[in-house]
Amino acid sequence: MKNSKTKAKYQTFIGLEVHIHLITESKVFCGCRNVFGSEPNTNVCPVCMGYPGVLPSLNEEAVKKAYQVAMALNCHLNEKAVFERKNYFYPDMPKNYQISQFEFPFGVDGYFDLELADGSTRKIRIHDVHLEEDAGKMIHEGSQSKLDYNRAGTPLLEIVTEPDLVTGEEAEAFVQQFRQMVRYLGVTDGNMEEGSLRCDANVSINEFGKGLGTKTECKNLNSSRFIKKALEYEIKRHTKVINSGDTIIQETRLWDESSSKTSSMRTKESSNDYRYFPEPDLPPYWPETKFLADIKESLVELPGIRKNRFIDEYGINQQQALFLTSEKSMADFFETVVEGDIEDKSLPGTVASWLSGNVQKILNNSGQGIEESSLSPRRLLSILNMIKKDKISTGIGKKVLGLVFEADKDPEDIVKNMGLDEGPDESEIFRIVSDIVDANPKVAEAIRDGADKQIGFFMGQVMKATSGKANPGKIQKLLREKILTGPEKN
Amino acid sequence: MKIKENLDSYLKYVSNWEEKIGSFLEFDISRTKGMSTVEGQLAGIPFGVKDNFAVEGFNITCGSKILEGVSAPYTATSVAKLQAAGAVVVGKTNLDAFGMGSSTDNSAFKITNNPWDTNRVAGGSSGGSAAAVAAGIVPFALGSDTGGSVRQPASFCGVYGLKPTYGVVSRYGLTAYASSLDVVGVVARTVEMTKTVFDTMKGQDIKDNTSVSHPGSRNNGDVKKIAVLKIEDGSLSDDVAKSYLESRKLLEKLGYDIVEIELPSLEYVVPVYYTIATAEASANLARYNGLRYGYRSKNGNDPGEIMQTSRDEGFGDEVKLRILLGTYVLRSGFQDQFYHKAQKIRTAIRNEFDKIFELADLIMMPVFPTAAFKHGSTDLDPFQQKVADRYTCAANLTGLPALAIPSSIENGLPVGVQFTAPAFEEDRLFNIAKVLEKDFPSPLAPGTKNWSII
Repeated sequence: MKNSKTKAKYQTFIGLEVHIHLITESKVFCGCRNVFGSEPNTNVCPVCMGYPGVLPSLNEEAVKKAYQVAMALNCHLNEKAVFERKNYFYPDMPKNYQISQFEFPFGVDGYFDLELADGSTRKIRIHDVHLEEDAGKMIHEGSQSKLDYNRAGTPLLEIVTEPDLVTGEEAEAFVQQFRQMVRYLGVTDGNMEEGSLRCDANVSINEFGKGLGTKTECKNLNSSRFIKKALEYEIKRHTKVINSGDTIIQETRLWDESSSKTSSMRTKESSNDYRYFPEPDLPPYWPETKFLADIKESLVELPGIRKNRFIDEYGINQQQALFLTSEKSMADFFETVVEGDIEDKSLPGTVASWLSGNVQKILNNSGQGIEESSLSPRRLLSILNMIKKDKISTGIGKKVLGLVFEADKDPEDIVKNMGLDEGPDESEIFRIVSDIVDANPKVAEAIRDGADKQIGFFMGQVMKATSGKANPGKIQKLLREKILTGPEKN
Repeated sequence: MKIKENLDSYLKYVSNWEEKIGSFLEFDISRTKGMSTVEGQLAGIPFGVKDNFAVEGFNITCGSKILEGVSAPYTATSVAKLQAAGAVVVGKTNLDAFGMGSSTDNSAFKITNNPWDTNRVAGGSSGGSAAAVAAGIVPFALGSDTGGSVRQPASFCGVYGLKPTYGVVSRYGLTAYASSLDVVGVVARTVEMTKTVFDTMKGQDIKDNTSVSHPGSRNNGDVKKIAVLKIEDGSLSDDVAKSYLESRKLLEKLGYDIVEIELPSLEYVVPVYYTIATAEASANLARYNGLRYGYRSKNGNDPGEIMQTSRDEGFGDEVKLRILLGTYVLRSGFQDQFYHKAQKIRTAIRNEFDKIFELADLIMMPVFPTAAFKHGSTDLDPFQQKVADRYTCAANLTGLPALAIPSSIENGLPVGVQFTAPAFEEDRLFNIAKVLEKDFPSPLAPGTKNWSII
């Protein structure tokens, strides 16, 4: 047998439904604030509470963000987008229908370039991108059920993939890379714990060439790791069921992290008929050409593209480029520093290694993002400049960096106030070098004759005389000048 | 007599008539205090509002037990605009629950009688508004018109009933029955008052994305040629047929160019209307579940059960019938057969009307096949009442403006006639109504009188 049994026999199909909470000032159909974590039922009004007589009024900001995502996913944008009512009864749904999109969503037929573990990419087809409203939250406490409608009516964007993913690992990678992309776009914070990014996964297996099998849907996947684990569990379960001659029941299953298992939640038979029909309170949305052009114009460079550009434009390596572009704030920071001195061709490499090394180490310890830290691009550039101009050594530079984070002060001031820059200047070092070389003519002579190692003797002497503050490179450079020019003076 | 100077006798008049007709669910005259200090085109004018509009300070029951005692947390845009022009809401008028009915007998709270004959209905669903205006209690009242709910009761009570072009008056604050058909309508004693109220309310509203600004008439509201719908023998009661014929003769006498037309698509109006209206209603009424406001059943152990029992106990039969019908026509797999087909026919009906307007400025047709019928099902059973909506529903399906105008008194009951105009041509309706008003003004029911305002 060439492969393991399962690999040879079955093909796996995984499709994802990813929901992201859009960052907007107000909810999608009313003026209530769209924020997480307020006191229950404080961000509510007659509209999002579904009082008699209220009407939805579409939030243009949410529409723009929906189009941004649809464009970033290479979707075809429908000439006309239509909101529809999705009818089902649930206590946390104020109107007992959800305003969503069905037949004519904002975007359809897109794709996402998924980077695989081996460095290659594969196109994952996107079925559609549609905008809808979120429901409230029901909390059960003992014998009581409590309802919080703060979340009701907040804008939710749903992205549905085709069943193009084949392993739990790929699904995890998709969610991670997709999350990175939407965070780049600035449309969501993508926080899975707070539910701003939620994911349901469909999975089926079938014999090769036989198309899709009977699928099950996994819910309660609150982290990308759970997605991988739940899917791997389900694939094993499907394989076992099918191998034993049974059939898979189409159903929704809940992932339970504590037992690392999925369990049946509801079967297809008891599922809803949503009775979709066009929302009569919202006219069809016809985006104008200029409106879409402006959104396209405002689209930020996406991480994959930016990574490749960093490699080409700045000559940094794949590893560094990947690190720098993982978060938009880091990539922006990098480019701002580099733009501070475009003449210096070695700067990008230096900045890249500082950011991925010294800076990231500090950020990791504090748990901060670079944009919220006290290090600004100007401050980093100033540290690097001081090193470049030998005002401070690299070692002192690292120390200054740490102090910038700690004290939130400019590097120049730190260096000045702490006396870190009081090393001798070049003429002073040259005077010391001259004195020492002149005092040891035999050693100088030996070096001129090829005993290069003996330069270490002079180095030690000069370092001692400058209390270690002088730049070693500089000392060596001046020493060699002095030793070489020495005899001519005689 | 002026209300302000004779408040006591006005209140006595109101309570006398209210005892007979029961047009209001809530009435609070104290709101007229300080009326004279308000400035505006409608300064100090009291008006009634159908109880499916939100008006802060009043309840919003929609005539249904499921919303009993619910007070409105905001005010409808249409009402707010009238208030800004100085008009004062004095009460909420009775209606068929959620606007579903032609008699106001489907109210969970009280029976409304016709001021012309208290054994008869005032029509519906805006029966309370029409009866209140006809009884002289208020000079105008707001109603909602989804399939004729303003024009039919206006016609039954001998007053004017306007259904504006869809979208011209904001629906924000009007409880939705069928969102794509619902309009805010006016019931008034005079054409001038109808027009003033309409002009005050019209305009785009950011809170209603289906609202549009009114572009004004394309021809100054001029009316020369009127298309008169040919009526098959036996379609109308004798009284209404007689009145209809007289209206046509009067138009000829007044020198209008008359062309007789047929509208074959009228055959489909009622089934199309009941498909679309109930489909939308089934979703619109889903929000009433007893959890956030309104009637909550004591029978039920969890939120899901409480929703079910509250709806079961809170909704009346007519409302349940329409929710079930709407749920049925929207089932997956059946939409093409019902809902989508109805939408296609709806477009065809609109096209047929547009064709007529290529050759005429207005279309005249009856409002309802009979004059006010008796309470209960002796004259017309609920199914016959629905079939009788054929002349009024067309304006809702097409979105076109229509006005019911009092045309005569037959055997002691008022009869009206209806004019339909192209979109945004309300001025044509007002012009023809003013001409006809000189010949036959809104008649006073026996024992009623018009109170002057200021």
